[in-house]
Amino acid sequence: MKVTIKILLLLFICSLSVSAQIQSLAKHAQMNIDCKSCHVCDTPTKADPCLILCPRYKLEVVRHSPDEGPDHIIIDKIKVEKDLYKPVQFSHRLHSEMSLMSGGCSSCHHFNPPGNIVECSECHEPNRARTDLSKPDLKGAYHRQCMDCHYSWDAKVECADCHELNSSETESVRLEAMPSKSHPKVKEPEKIVYETGSDEGDLVTFFHNEHISLFNLECTDCHSNESCAQCHSQKEKVERPILADAHENCSACHDTEDDCTSCHMEMERAPFNHFKSSGFSLKKYHSDVSCISCHTAGGGFTGLNKNCISCHNFEDEDFDHGVTGLTLDDIHIENECADCHTETVYSKVSCDTCHDEDITYPASLPGTKK
Amino acid sequence: MSQNRRDFLKTVAAIGTSAGALSALSPNKVKAKSPENLSEERMGVLVDATVCIGCRKCEWACRGAHDIENGNIQDYADEKVFETNRRPDYDNLTIVNRYESSDEKLSNVKLQCMHCDHPACVSACIVGAISKKKNGSVVWDTDMCIGCRYCMVACPFQIPAFEYHKALDPKIVKCDFCDERTMEGKLPACTAICPVEALTYGKREDLLIEAKRRFKNNPDRYYQHIFGEHEIGGTSWLYIADKDLAGTVFPKLDNRTAPGVSESIQHGLFAYFVPPVAVYALLGGIMWLTKDKKKTEGK
Ligand code: SF4
Ligand code: SF4
Ligand code: SF4
Repeated sequence: MKVTIKILLLLFICSLSVSAQIQSLAKHAQMNIDCKSCHVCDTPTKADPCLILCPRYKLEVVRHSPDEGPDHIIIDKIKVEKDLYKPVQFSHRLHSEMSLMSGGCSSCHHFNPPGNIVECSECHEPNRARTDLSKPDLKGAYHRQCMDCHYSWDAKVECADCHELNSSETESVRLEAMPSKSHPKVKEPEKIVYETGSDEGDLVTFFHNEHISLFNLECTDCHSNESCAQCHSQKEKVERPILADAHENCSACHDTEDDCTSCHMEMERAPFNHFKSSGFSLKKYHSDVSCISCHTAGGGFTGLNKNCISCHNFEDEDFDHGVTGLTLDDIHIENECADCHTETVYSKVSCDTCHDEDITYPASLPGTKK
Repeated sequence: MSQNRRDFLKTVAAIGTSAGALSALSPNKVKAKSPENLSEERMGVLVDATVCIGCRKCEWACRGAHDIENGNIQDYADEKVFETNRRPDYDNLTIVNRYESSDEKLSNVKLQCMHCDHPACVSACIVGAISKKKNGSVVWDTDMCIGCRYCMVACPFQIPAFEYHKALDPKIVKCDFCDERTMEGKLPACTAICPVEALTYGKREDLLIEAKRRFKNNPDRYYQHIFGEHEIGGTSWLYIADKDLAGTVFPKLDNRTAPGVSESIQHGLFAYFVPPVAVYALLGGIMWLTKDKKKTEGK
């Protein structure tokens, strides 16, 4: 018996020593990463894992929102004897916010297996004289990362735009300004009229402002994978690129398969007006609601009933009357809905189920109005 | 000295062969000096024009490494120089030019001696002052240089520059692949300073592999051709870019080694840099041309 325990103990200790590796293997196997992302051969072994070189375009699994990342980063990893420049103060949050419109975290963090954020210096050697030429050295990697965008939109970008001179006397103001810094507001077009050449109707009038303020779309809902150079270009004039698939952005909400004429017309269309189109005004309670929270059956935007209960389940125990703007007092909160709302049009209220004629709505309120 | 004399005669013969359109001598019979020296281990530089940002720090560093007054590094940010298409000269062994790579994009390319595997300049030098070293560098011996300027004409890239400003004993100068620095184990000055590592220093054969890896990983970024892999028999400096550099940044060159100077002179130099005047005479014509070139360069 004792022998068995000893053997088991021995096995356990042995297994500990290799557990780290097995763990990471198990993790990787679970992670829905294609083996070919890291290994070139079909059967990698421990002796010959046949790892490919840094899989720049393939592996990025850590994602978080810009606010979860650091606000700024001081880049001071490259030091030479006679440094011309101070360390670089990099506005990380600002850049990650902008990256939401252009490729996300992976546009810089191009290689990040599960776990911590991998620093550039973990893969890119500080030494330029080296044998592995497959990736730039650290200095090259940093500069390329920045200049790939910054040079592509402005060939005049200068060292001093990022590097403050060591000799400069002035105290750095960059760092203090950084937390409040964000991309200047983009001048958005009110409307764009596309001449599509389509038989279904040549003109598509796209009201950009409506999609932002009325339909509450975020910039990134449509602009998710654009390069900075699409707006910022080395040359003065920026032509807006022709959308490769013009329907791609629209089809998330609109039925672009069967319903052409809602967008394609022979004339410019008037701005959207929910009341005119449907007889239901969004103004009072629904102006902040996204379209699809009511129009849940994707594709079409018709078929909803004006009655509140076609969307709202007021019978629900959890219903908070306060969302209507009227918070019920302790007495009325105990009532059944139908005690006051005798019809299914909930804007109508009758008090006479319980009260005499001298109590009417809205002269007397069953609670407090916002 | 007899060796040099024989080289000289070979060179003359080579020029005569193509220039005079005498086809009796096959170009292969006239070999440039020193290909037998070529080492598998020879070094090179991969210039990636899609990465170069045109900061010209390489120009500053190169001058500094060759005792040429190089001034303040920040002055090199001046973009005005890009208005003219420059050539390396006695004062700038390397220069960076800006070119239009597409409708939206400006790219930059650094030029210097290509350190040809079969250097025409070496063949052209009548006193044997220029030689190709095992490590790839094409270097020259100032003491031997007699200032005849044949190498200038022979070079398909129009690299060797002449110290025209010197009244006494003017010599030829060009990029020497930072021979002194590399012998001390340092990187060439330009490759060491480049902020974006647009210049990758390494074994030529490794650089070719690396260039092809970049093509494969990023096919949209590159025009899939390594300039210098085969041109005139191969060069130590290799170029990749987003468009074909042959015929724009570089002359269009044959893949055959410059046999002495014959092929390259016709296809390269005259087709591109120098007005295609009748260059069917021998040395007299060549001397005349170098003078003419001085003007075209706008020095
Ligand atoms: S580029 Fe010209 S100077 Fe340089 S090695 Fe070749 S032939 Fe000689
Ligand atoms: S290798 Fe040396 S000499 Fe040649 S361009 Fe670079 S710095 Fe100048
Ligand atoms: S230092 Fe590098 S990036 Fe700057 S101009 Fe020279 S090659 Fe281009």
